[in-house]
Amino acid sequence: MIDYSLKKLVQLVITTFGVVTLVFFTLRLIPGDAASAMAGDTLSGDALEALREQMGLNEPLFRQYLDYLSSLARFDLGETITTRIPISELLLKAVPITMTIAVSTIVLTVLIAIPLGTLAAFMAHKGRKTLDNFLTGTAMILDLMPSFWTALVFLLLFSLTLGWFPASGMVSWDDPWALMQRIALPVLVLSVTQVATMARITRTSVLEILSEDYVRTARSMGWSELRVLFRHALKNAALPIVTVIGLSFGNLLNGTVIVEFIFTVPGVGNLLITGINSRDYQMVQTLIVFYALLFVTINFATDLVYRSLDPRVKF
Amino acid sequence: MFKLNRRQFGSLLGATALVGAGQPVLAQDGKTLTIRFYDDPAGYDPANIFRIENENLAFNIFSGLTTYDSQTGEIIPDLATSWETTDNKTWTFNLRKGVQWQEGYGEFTAEDVIYSYSRILDPETASPYAGEFAGLVAMEAPDPYTLIIELDSPNGSFLHSVANYHQGQIVKKEAIEAAGDQVRWQPVGTGPYYMDFIDVNSQIILKRHDDYYQGPAPIETLVFNIIKDEATATIALRNGEVDLVMRSNREENLQTLMAEGFKMNTVDNYAVAVKVFNTEFEPFADARVRKAIAHAIDYDTITQALSPSLQQGYHSLLMPWMPVYTPDVARYPYDVEAAKALLAQAGYPDGFSFKHLGTSAQGVTELQQFEIDFLSKVGVAMEMDLVDTPTFNQRRNAGEFEMATRLLPAINPDMILANYLHPDNKVPGGLNGARYDNPEVTDLMAAAKAEPDPEKAKALYVQLQQIVMDDLPYLPTYANNVFWPGKQSVIGVQPNYLAQVNFWEVDVTTS
Repeated sequence: MIDYSLKKLVQLVITTFGVVTLVFFTLRLIPGDAASAMAGDTLSGDALEALREQMGLNEPLFRQYLDYLSSLARFDLGETITTRIPISELLLKAVPITMTIAVSTIVLTVLIAIPLGTLAAFMAHKGRKTLDNFLTGTAMILDLMPSFWTALVFLLLFSLTLGWFPASGMVSWDDPWALMQRIALPVLVLSVTQVATMARITRTSVLEILSEDYVRTARSMGWSELRVLFRHALKNAALPIVTVIGLSFGNLLNGTVIVEFIFTVPGVGNLLITGINSRDYQMVQTLIVFYALLFVTINFATDLVYRSLDPRVKF
Repeated sequence: MFKLNRRQFGSLLGATALVGAGQPVLAQDGKTLTIRFYDDPAGYDPANIFRIENENLAFNIFSGLTTYDSQTGEIIPDLATSWETTDNKTWTFNLRKGVQWQEGYGEFTAEDVIYSYSRILDPETASPYAGEFAGLVAMEAPDPYTLIIELDSPNGSFLHSVANYHQGQIVKKEAIEAAGDQVRWQPVGTGPYYMDFIDVNSQIILKRHDDYYQGPAPIETLVFNIIKDEATATIALRNGEVDLVMRSNREENLQTLMAEGFKMNTVDNYAVAVKVFNTEFEPFADARVRKAIAHAIDYDTITQALSPSLQQGYHSLLMPWMPVYTPDVARYPYDVEAAKALLAQAGYPDGFSFKHLGTSAQGVTELQQFEIDFLSKVGVAMEMDLVDTPTFNQRRNAGEFEMATRLLPAINPDMILANYLHPDNKVPGGLNGARYDNPEVTDLMAAAKAEPDPEKAKALYVQLQQIVMDDLPYLPTYANNVFWPGKQSVIGVQPNYLAQVNFWEVDVTTS
């Protein structure tokens, strides 16, 4: 286990270095820089050059790279290029918000999708196709709805027509109830897609297990259908489901980018969009490193969960 | 980032004392207006401020020597009560007495102006707006309320350079020094509102500057909530989460809000979008081809179909509200036959094809689909060359296109004319993407700028506009209107010709 963790740690450093280097140079390959993004329609010539000088964009590229590496090694994330705000400050505010949304979404998704998928599998196994078809059909439709569209429909329905949740406003930790209301819509929108995927995977894996011999044995021992379904079938079907949960966490981080924009949630996704639009290299680099670290961590956690679910899994 | 300064603390004590004495708090106190802000704030240092939404806040925090009338766009006194010049070269400004800085920085004097302009010109500041003061050779303050500015050449539009906009906004030396490298987040001015709180990802709060020289504004607190998505902003207004939407620019949202009885608060003909012809691209080198393109596309019909509230077909580089504008220029009404005839004369009887630079973010817009369709009727094939936005900006600035669009919002006609038409501003390095170089026009621009007599200057501007519209290096397509939809109870919202609202004029009625 310790060997494994060490190995992972070394991998982590190598991965991060690779990501940092790749991101640093590819970002600069994209034409246009922070100065021209800022200048937009009205500036050019000398004025633009002055701006570039001020932003430190005229330094030799390799020198910028070395500076960046050395500050990163000192855990100094630097400042945004256009607005001179410490990036660590921005991250400290944005990460908890995005994480709250992502974790809430996963919890909600698991609570809905797993019983739903298991039920669908059970129905399919029993030959009661109507409910199964309905469930898988709905899941498919939900899965195919793009989140920006779902977001707008939910806004119109839940915010404007029903008036249950606000469409805008501060996201503040001072008032937990207001915070929940504020992030309810983003969480719902993100859950819709996730529920569909997870319910489908659950259904498939459970259905497969249901025709296994040991399930028949369990039934023949006179245990209730529910117990057979959840204690035996679902537990043995758990590995692919856990994989999907891990993966969907990654998907969620993609999803939050759009949803955070529409609902103006000041999370990591919003920072990323701002950074890309304003060609703020420093910000985008840092955020991508952050995402990379997060993915590595999630994979690590998934591995650990695998092992506790199935002791046969070796690292 | 909440801060309570001495003055605020003082007024807090004062308020407590008033309540203690059993007197009613001023009836106008405590009013709050919640406004949609559409992007992340990017800082409020006049030396390097950019983007209209940020400029709008700075407009309310700072003052210039002059400012703009919200209704007419006319230059009116601000920190200067009057000014004189006989030759457009030496300008004498009489400054207002008793103007108080925000945050307890004392009284405004001529020294503050000299400091502000010197700061813009200082290479250390690296202000992109330093060019506006390039001709400034001397500044002198014989007394605290008189300022004499000497320019190296006559400049009739100098009053625009000293207006409450960008480089013209007066800052306080002590406040700039106190803020250090955080100047952009700690603006201190003499305007009607001061910066109270910023959370760069969600909210900005401005508070009333009680000692403002025109008297305190009716509303005490302005809360700007960042809502980036247009549809969300519309819903937030309909839900009552915001009172006012800064710049709503989708036709469908405007139609919804109009139908529901919201107040639209608009300004017409804010700026004109032009097609930039690269005259180094062979077909566009011929004026007849440029005129044929102008005749071939019917912008009245297109805007009527796509966005009747937001845009209308337009015919000039200058806007109708500018004092030097003339309607008396060559126009190119929709006429397929005329377009075909001009193309044939120019040697393109079967048309030609060209590439139009655009952004992949927008894709081929509905407007461009119309343009492609209209042009195909005269045999001209317009292809879209789509790149991402910063690439687009870079290529457009470098002049690497056959045709591009540009929208240059400005209140100063000289700025539009010089940028588009002066050979010194040719791409790369300037905005003259047409590579226009007509010595007659260049001379007229200089002469018009030097002419102190407004009547005579206007005559020169008229002549200039007529020549340019005959040459047609740029095709004016449509003019934009600006909308700030809000609740009926919000009164006095009048976007000016910089698309900014002066919040000192805004109030909320309780009925």
